[in-house]
Amino acid sequence: MGMISTALGRLSQAFLLLIAMSLIGFIGIHSVGNPVFNVVNIETATPEDIRAATIALGLDQPIWRQYLVFIGNVVSGNFGTSYIYHQPAFELVMSKLPATLELASIAMLIAAPLGTGLGLLAGRRSGTLFDRIVLKASVSALSIPSFWLAMMLILGGAVLTGWFPSGGRGSTASFLGQEWSFLTASGLWHLVLPALALAIPNIALIARLSRSGTIEVESLDFTRFCRAKGLPSRRILFRHTLPNISVPIVTIIGLQFGGMLAFAVVVESIFSWPGVGKLLIDSIQLLDRPVVMATLTFIAVAFVVLNALVDLFYAVLDPRVRLSS
Amino acid sequence: MKLGSRLCPRLISAFLISISLWNAPATPVVAQEQEELRIATSYKLMTLDPQYANLNENTSLLSHIYERLVYQDEKLELKPGLATSWRPLSDTQWEFKLRENVRFHDGSAFDADDVVYTIERIRDVLKPPSGGFRSYVSGIKSVSAPDPLTVLIETNGAVPNLPLFFSSIFVMHRPSEGFQTTEELNAGSPPLGTGPYRFESWSSGESLRLARNDDYWGGKPAWSKVTFRVIENPAARVAALSTGEVDVADAIPARDVASLKERGAKIASVGAARINFVQFDVGRDTLPGVTDKSGEPIANPFKNLLVRRALALATDRGILVDKILAGYGTAAAQVFPNGLPGTSAKLQPQAPNYDEAKALLAKAGLPDGFNLVLAGPAGRYPGDAESLQAIAQSWARIGVNAQPAAAPFSVFNTKRAAGDYGVWYGGTSGEAVDIILHTLLASPNPERGTGALNFGKYQNADFDGMLAKAESIEVGPERNAALAQATELVMADQAIIPLYHFHHIVGYGPLIGSYVMHPRGWTTAMQTLPAME
Repeated sequence: MGMISTALGRLSQAFLLLIAMSLIGFIGIHSVGNPVFNVVNIETATPEDIRAATIALGLDQPIWRQYLVFIGNVVSGNFGTSYIYHQPAFELVMSKLPATLELASIAMLIAAPLGTGLGLLAGRRSGTLFDRIVLKASVSALSIPSFWLAMMLILGGAVLTGWFPSGGRGSTASFLGQEWSFLTASGLWHLVLPALALAIPNIALIARLSRSGTIEVESLDFTRFCRAKGLPSRRILFRHTLPNISVPIVTIIGLQFGGMLAFAVVVESIFSWPGVGKLLIDSIQLLDRPVVMATLTFIAVAFVVLNALVDLFYAVLDPRVRLSS
Repeated sequence: MKLGSRLCPRLISAFLISISLWNAPATPVVAQEQEELRIATSYKLMTLDPQYANLNENTSLLSHIYERLVYQDEKLELKPGLATSWRPLSDTQWEFKLRENVRFHDGSAFDADDVVYTIERIRDVLKPPSGGFRSYVSGIKSVSAPDPLTVLIETNGAVPNLPLFFSSIFVMHRPSEGFQTTEELNAGSPPLGTGPYRFESWSSGESLRLARNDDYWGGKPAWSKVTFRVIENPAARVAALSTGEVDVADAIPARDVASLKERGAKIASVGAARINFVQFDVGRDTLPGVTDKSGEPIANPFKNLLVRRALALATDRGILVDKILAGYGTAAAQVFPNGLPGTSAKLQPQAPNYDEAKALLAKAGLPDGFNLVLAGPAGRYPGDAESLQAIAQSWARIGVNAQPAAAPFSVFNTKRAAGDYGVWYGGTSGEAVDIILHTLLASPNPERGTGALNFGKYQNADFDGMLAKAESIEVGPERNAALAQATELVMADQAIIPLYHFHHIVGYGPLIGSYVMHPRGWTTAMQTLPAME
């Protein structure tokens, strides 16, 4: 019963979130400007062309009616057709998803273990040279703007040394009906720099979080008992400290992963990585409302799902959560 | 656990090494790649329907697959394409003779019926929002194919520019029945043209892969494969060219030219067949943002020729061209760069003269100057937002306080359409001088289709008359002279302040022998000649 009511609460929350998000997104993009000027070539179009295109896109209707039409269409599973690409908006978003998913996953696969490991070690040896280096490096990594980091990675990794390509996805291979880069050598090679650009700030963030958690947990009684019992310090660190600090780390990994799916705009643009974030920012610039709305909806759903997964994970990680429910 | 932790680094390094071995040959071995041309372009291909939207973003890339009846060479003169010759039979009748032995990529023959299909599809079938090409065929009353290599076109009234219009229309193949829809074309029913390269695959806004059409009527194309990568970020385009990942990159920012040259890339550039200008609202009696020095609204000063002259005289094009465009621009005195057909040799850009400008302002009854908001798009044209700043500084020297207001292009258009601006920076392009005069400077008249871009409602009956007369003359020297005269008249009236013609800049690497620039600014493999061994 408790489970069901929690799930129902969750669902209604998600529903409210989606409604609010769609309203804000819709009105926001509407007030930016009129997309019709991006659909017709303003340098050659006649007023008649512009008028006809406005009517064809339904932009002559009042905004509330446009919104109702949009909601009606979404309920029947149709996000509309992109003004710019003239393809179904949701399909367009889904076609950009593999690129983003693999980039974000690989960045997180680098960031999560590396960040946690560094944080654990730094926290264990807090005050030592190693700790100070980790601390300072993480502060600088967090304060570097991501576009600068990306540019420096291109400069160092591609332009000066020629080790890695400066952008693009490289060759892709088909898997589950989608094109993936990580299945080919050239694709993996193209993944390195953008994944690093996404991973480095996250390594720093996770390292700081796990370091402070470690310091806190290491001073608790149960760790001292472990030590008194004679457990090797590695075992204490991985079997006792790590699970105890993992709840906030999992939370931040979930949030950051969602953020990377949606808002890796800067990195995707600079590395011309054709992902969801780049599609979103391009579409906002071109006022391609169906695509913007489809992307925002997808992102909102992704965040809701990720948060639910994180909550489930709590139960796996923390016996107290399991026992209380 | 222990074993795993020891193995892991080794596994990773082995993995990385194996990747690097796989990839190592890709860069140094050039001979193998000789046949493939890789181009980084700013033009994103958005649809595979060649008649959906009249935007360079689409047409530049699709011009590899589809061809036109008529081509424009680098001097914008008309050259035979799929049509070998054309002539007017009367004022309202044209005959186009088509090229023999031209085949579509599926092997079927090209004939006059395909031209009929193309015109019908644009004129009758495509529905808004597509329709950018309709204005080219709206003057066509009927089209017929008396024999497979002849097209007869009847127009409503005289359309001397008809051959020019066909230099923008891609010819499609008539399917076995009905008309192809945009959705069908986008969904991968392969685009079928007669062009030098065949369609292989695409991803909207990402890439386009092409292969050589060995049966091309114009001889074997130079490259066996052509890959376009859409890279919109200019810095990323420059990086891709300097690392050798692509052989050609277009729309290079002028500030990156020097560093690219240092890295061994070659640069080609040409003055674009387009104009950036300052346009005034001369229609309304008061304008938003235009006030006297104390902030009180004043009567629209731009209705007065003296004020327009004064502002033109106080505009320093040298700074725009030399500093902002780093030399990759030409100061403008008319709508196209001097020397192109229809331009006037008499019109030369003027150096600023602030004293005279101040005197003109005083004569116009505004000795203390006035305040205005100078609007413009940001990031649409090379040097747009910076130009607003520079112009504002020049104008300040004659007491005109201009507040630059740059906005994203779509926002700028929305606000301009809503009448929020009194004076603004704009840009336009066209296939020929008369098209720009027709849309930008002729009085707005929906019936005649003139003045579509004349957002300032500038009206000049003398100019309208001269332009209409010039437009009725057959394409040739006489028409060009009449257009030049009309331009002189309208520029003397300072309908706009012409600023500059920016240059299209293309960078290319060692695989490329030469790149032929075209003022229309498309980026194509056909303009790219391989280096001789």
